[in-house]
Amino acid sequence: MSRPVNTGTFIAKNALRNKRRAALTILSVAVSCALLVTLLTLQRELTIPPESEAASLRVIVRNKVSLAQPLPAKQLATLDRIPGIVAVSPFSFFGGNFREETVTSFAQFAVDPARFQGIIVEGKVVDGSYEEFVKDRNSCLVGADTMKRYNLKIGEKMRFTSTFYPVDLDLTMAAVFQGTVDDRGVFFHHKLLDELLGDPGTVGTWYIRVASAEAANDVIARVNKAFENTSAEVRAETERAFQMGFVSMWGNVKVLIGSISTVVVFTLVLVTVSTMSMAIRERFRELAILKALGFRRRELFSFILAESFGLATLGAVIGIGGAWAFWTFTDLQSLTKGFLVYFQVTPRIMATGGVVAALLGIVASIAPAVAVSRMSVVTGLKTLD
Amino acid sequence: MALPLKYNLRNVTVRWRSTVATVLGIALVVAVFVLLRALARGIEANGANTGDPRNIIVVRKGSQAESGSLITRNQFRILQYFEEIARNERGEPVISAEVVLIISAPRRDGSGEANTLIRGVTPRGIELRPQVELTAGRWFTAGKREIVVSRRLAARFARFEIGGIIKAGPARLSVVGHFDGQASAFDSEAWMDADEARSIFDREQYSSVLLRPRDGDAAAALLKRVEADKRLALRAEREVDYYSKQTMTAVPIRILATLLGAAMSIGAVFAAMNTMYASVAARTREIGTLRVLGYSRRSIVVCFLIEGAFLAAIGGVVGCLLSLPMNGYTTGTIDFQSFAETVFQFRVTPPLMLMGVVFSVVIGLAGSLLPALRAARLPVISALKSI
Repeated sequence: MSRPVNTGTFIAKNALRNKRRAALTILSVAVSCALLVTLLTLQRELTIPPESEAASLRVIVRNKVSLAQPLPAKQLATLDRIPGIVAVSPFSFFGGNFREETVTSFAQFAVDPARFQGIIVEGKVVDGSYEEFVKDRNSCLVGADTMKRYNLKIGEKMRFTSTFYPVDLDLTMAAVFQGTVDDRGVFFHHKLLDELLGDPGTVGTWYIRVASAEAANDVIARVNKAFENTSAEVRAETERAFQMGFVSMWGNVKVLIGSISTVVVFTLVLVTVSTMSMAIRERFRELAILKALGFRRRELFSFILAESFGLATLGAVIGIGGAWAFWTFTDLQSLTKGFLVYFQVTPRIMATGGVVAALLGIVASIAPAVAVSRMSVVTGLKTLD
Repeated sequence: MALPLKYNLRNVTVRWRSTVATVLGIALVVAVFVLLRALARGIEANGANTGDPRNIIVVRKGSQAESGSLITRNQFRILQYFEEIARNERGEPVISAEVVLIISAPRRDGSGEANTLIRGVTPRGIELRPQVELTAGRWFTAGKREIVVSRRLAARFARFEIGGIIKAGPARLSVVGHFDGQASAFDSEAWMDADEARSIFDREQYSSVLLRPRDGDAAAALLKRVEADKRLALRAEREVDYYSKQTMTAVPIRILATLLGAAMSIGAVFAAMNTMYASVAARTREIGTLRVLGYSRRSIVVCFLIEGAFLAAIGGVVGCLLSLPMNGYTTGTIDFQSFAETVFQFRVTPPLMLMGVVFSVVIGLAGSLLPALRAARLPVISALKSI
């Protein structure tokens, strides 16, 4: 049997015959795909903290009771003697609000500057000098992202009001670092914090760097054992495991986002299926003619499938591409007041969105295709609308 | 002249196959929106439902929550002798210095650990919170390492059942009872003896002080006095006001609800438009006939708008019904102020459902406006000729 026109043009012409409907279908698929990608990215952001090679070489030691319980500063002497530890520094969360802000937009930590340099090795000083930071007890080391966000300069005065401690901090920016997973933090002298608090002899956590990833487990075991059966038992874990601990605290929010994503996908299916059925119903008569001309069911099905698949894919490309562009080129940090920082739309997430849309195109064509294959040519020809 | 409403209703029901998908789509959008708002509402309701209007809570000036507050023993001693404070039948001032701590405990479902808020309370502190009721077991004995946990927390954390042992560093706390906070912030807490808590967790200072003034005048005087006393550097606030402000966690959820609602409604508007355009196309001849009969363009527009709104309203109602079973369902997440797990219930309230239906009607109107205008603009003669 000879084909009247090229199959490809035939399908494309059919799909775009009702331009308004094609556009609406593509747009609704696009919006849903964009939403799906956004939700998956949000879920990833909440469940998988950013990974870096340096983080696997770092260990965080906290009080076994909870992160909120301090550790005695005298533990440092013991830690210094544990083999496998390259550097160790106190690491205390300050929880301050910057200037007149009413929320904590970025974290500040009290550290021992001289020791701290050996821990965040991937961070490079891009402005000011680290020596200046070490020398001046009232100075601080600022992340490049924070510097850019507030347009800070070396020598800038920075005031923080703590929500945790009954003290305020007045710091001078001495150096800027860049190149870590999170270039937002502000670091200052633990000695200053001790002085302000009247020397309580405590630290929040210990921050450790180990020689190699293999050595990390041994160091963790040694640290945990060293403080066993003391008044301040500890839990040492890799920086990555520590971050995953935060993830666990999100609780049911993760499940919630997962179920919303499912609903979005389901809505997507509904919309596309109904559009496809509408498109097919409209040309029942034509399809009956094609059938009468001798086109087989398989061929009719492939026409419908290709049309539905094409519309869904086009919608997916627009939606996923749009979401990617939006989340990549928007200044999220200032938009969400520091709640969302990176919001990275990964290739994997985009692929998931694409696969969902493709499957959708296939699923949506099944019901109309079945209806077409079942219809007898006679009833089809009789159909009016 | 307006078309009879019956015409619209029958159109929607007669062409049910083409409308079911749209109705369901809108229903799901409304359900997601209502449920997310119900979640935020639950957090706010918990905060609004916590505390006794007669009580006053005192925290450190500058702290946002009890967990970040410190009150020295000296400050407590000064507060204790304020004559505005009521006295019980034994002549003791009704005041409770408490300590709030966080311990990390394993979840019951094995999905890792989460923070739990522990409150060290005194007998006065329990009396000051009549909404907290013991539901099983007994209260802790003063001076013993015993703990009473909220019934709702017990459902979420391992070994929180009566007879269970909660590990807090080297210390072991035995669970001797369960209490119910009646859907308040106390549902996310575990209570033990204040002095014992301070000794186990090595806390010299208290976190907060809860007290009851003699009467309304004394309360106003006390609030003023603490505020004015620069030496104390404390902040006194009515307990109910304090807790109704502790709902920061609800903010991102509400933002999420709005964003998702907006994005999903765009998709739903497109879907509704599709359906309505199809409906207009299928009824071209019918519309031509109506015009010939003398119905104006405007009444055709109104007719299709009503039909679209009606279609969407059905979706809205179905969406509300879909979200209703979740009403009262307990869930939990991290509280950004205390850094501990907060437990609350979905609250699908009548105003929320109304909001959902209004939301759906707006989607319906937005989706049917263009198709309605198209229907009104159809040239009468060619419309009549179309098959």
